[in-house]
Amino acid sequence: LSAFSPHSPVTSEQIEHLHRRFKQLSRDQLTIRKENFDSIPDLEFNPIRGKIVHAFFDKRNLRQESDGLADEINFEDFLTIMSYFRPIEMNMDEEQLDRFRKEKLKFLFHMYDSDHDGKITLQEYRNVVEELLSGNPHLEKESARSIADGAMMEAASICVGQMGPDQVYEGITFDDFLKMWQGIDIETKMHVRFLTMETIAHCY
Amino acid sequence: MFLLLPFDSLVVNLLGISITVLFTLLLVFIIVPAIFGVSFGIRKVYMKTLLKIFQWATLRIERGAKEKNHPLYKPYVNGIIAKEPMSLEEEIKEIRRSGSGKSLDAPEFELSDIFYFCRKGIETIMDDEVTKRFSAEELESWNLLSRTNYNFQYISLRLTVLWGLGVLIRYCFLLPLRVALAFTGISLLVTGTTVVGYLPNGRCKEFLSKHVHLMCYRICVRALTAIITYHDRENRPRNGGICVANHTSPIDVIILASDGYYAMVGQVHGGLMGVIQRAMVKACPHVWFERSEVKDRHLVAKRLTEHVQDKSKLPILIFPEGTCINNTSVMMFKKGSFEIGATVYPVAIKYDPQFGDAFWNSSKYGMVTYLLRMMTSWAIVCSVWYLPPMTRQPEEDAVQFANRVKSAIARQGGLVDLLWDGGLKREKVKDTFKEEQQKLYSKMIVGNHEDRSRS
Repeated sequence: LSAFSPHSPVTSEQIEHLHRRFKQLSRDQLTIRKENFDSIPDLEFNPIRGKIVHAFFDKRNLRQESDGLADEINFEDFLTIMSYFRPIEMNMDEEQLDRFRKEKLKFLFHMYDSDHDGKITLQEYRNVVEELLSGNPHLEKESARSIADGAMMEAASICVGQMGPDQVYEGITFDDFLKMWQGIDIETKMHVRFLTMETIAHCY
Repeated sequence: MFLLLPFDSLVVNLLGISITVLFTLLLVFIIVPAIFGVSFGIRKVYMKTLLKIFQWATLRIERGAKEKNHPLYKPYVNGIIAKEPMSLEEEIKEIRRSGSGKSLDAPEFELSDIFYFCRKGIETIMDDEVTKRFSAEELESWNLLSRTNYNFQYISLRLTVLWGLGVLIRYCFLLPLRVALAFTGISLLVTGTTVVGYLPNGRCKEFLSKHVHLMCYRICVRALTAIITYHDRENRPRNGGICVANHTSPIDVIILASDGYYAMVGQVHGGLMGVIQRAMVKACPHVWFERSEVKDRHLVAKRLTEHVQDKSKLPILIFPEGTCINNTSVMMFKKGSFEIGATVYPVAIKYDPQFGDAFWNSSKYGMVTYLLRMMTSWAIVCSVWYLPPMTRQPEEDAVQFANRVKSAIARQGGLVDLLWDGGLKREKVKDTFKEEQQKLYSKMIVGNHEDRSRS
């Protein structure tokens, strides 16, 4: 927990609450596995459920040296992932804000880049689009594909400019990714805020 | 052997005397005031004493936990995170707008679209809205009922002794007393209403019926040791109106009916409830539906409308949530009662969970278990607020009217106003509601894509 605090002034009460949630998900064990996320009913309906759960076990998100996927995570890892969603603080300077933003975008980048090679290829992009549109049973695979292809071409034009007929766009690197998010205020939108606690009304 | 005989009769005598004394006390201090609607204030004194003891017990637990370094979890009732109120479309549009500055009428898939679902996913992982509402509120202090405290461990001898004493008092003294009272109350209700039913219709019958009902409900209130504070009694429901309240337990009926004379609405039950229902309807017109009729909404609406239009008939008591909620929030009101067009008198009921948790989780406990739990709690303390009457405005429809009434009730009782349907407790989250979100998103993308390819 001490490694966590320099990054954020999350209050100890909030950490306590997250701990309770962790214990609930892990059924009082010390670690969580992928299967534990099955017990959240609302998550069933999220089209990118798989990617979100995957993100919790992605070693790149857990700030670990090695690569690949962890089998299980403990509470500290859980908090590390949650820290990507902490809200912006008032007294951050330019540099901190920039770092803050890059961290959040890296999290999203890792969601797209499933083979961990540092690039979002056309296939990976198609993957994400198909998953996002999977809620619609009437949508044919071809349509999803063509949407993804169109979007990828557009991404290429933003990042590389006009390409020659023989040039192959290998994939979106993290820098290109950053370019595409320019102007979007991700720092103020990608967060989850804790409510302030109110007391129970007394009756007498 | 001969020595035992006088001893035996002594014991029998003592027993006889104590029972007689007990019943006399019962009569004088509880039943007679109930008949006349006065109160000695014994329950209020009882409540204050209990509070002092609870405070002491909580301090002891906290001190003990600190000494032993046990973490004490103070759970929060209303959910921990603030969820964005914007819809899917609005959020995605906003993100795109702030980004590439592209025009909104030609949206395609954007890289940033993943963000909305990602955040929603993390929110649900952090905190689940629906299931939280349905377990009983968890307390920040201990009320000497081990059923409400998950932190209970052996802290000190004094505390355990106190708890043991509490158990003894509750189960061996209060419980038989309460059961006796309840029995008296119910049998008086059944016999009283049957007798009144034989009288010819007229003012005398009405007067007697009203007082029989009130008297028996008051006895039942004392049977549960319910300490009720009524606020704003000048707004009490009048004839030809509908009284609407939030629902936490079957006791709500007793609480409201002991302060006013209502026509009840409900399904016909078998067994003891059926007997009571049949007796009650002899003395004054309540509205009981057969099980098959309940499904037919038009029939129900018709009967209620007929009742309401007759100004001489009593105000109807309805609980529009349809099921028991755990008294921290008010769920969606079913619109049926708001379509009838009568004046609505909203009532907010808020229980104080410190003395006994009144929430009935019908999927967990049956009715009898629930009543036993109630009768072995310390007391049931609650507040009732009578809100000023509301009528449907011409530009509102039934649903909007229902929501308006619901907000008024939630605000008064300090409860959270939720849009969820209380029926969720029994069935799984309605798939349609959630699938809407996904379909909406894919329609947004695909629909526009098709338009563009056509042009």
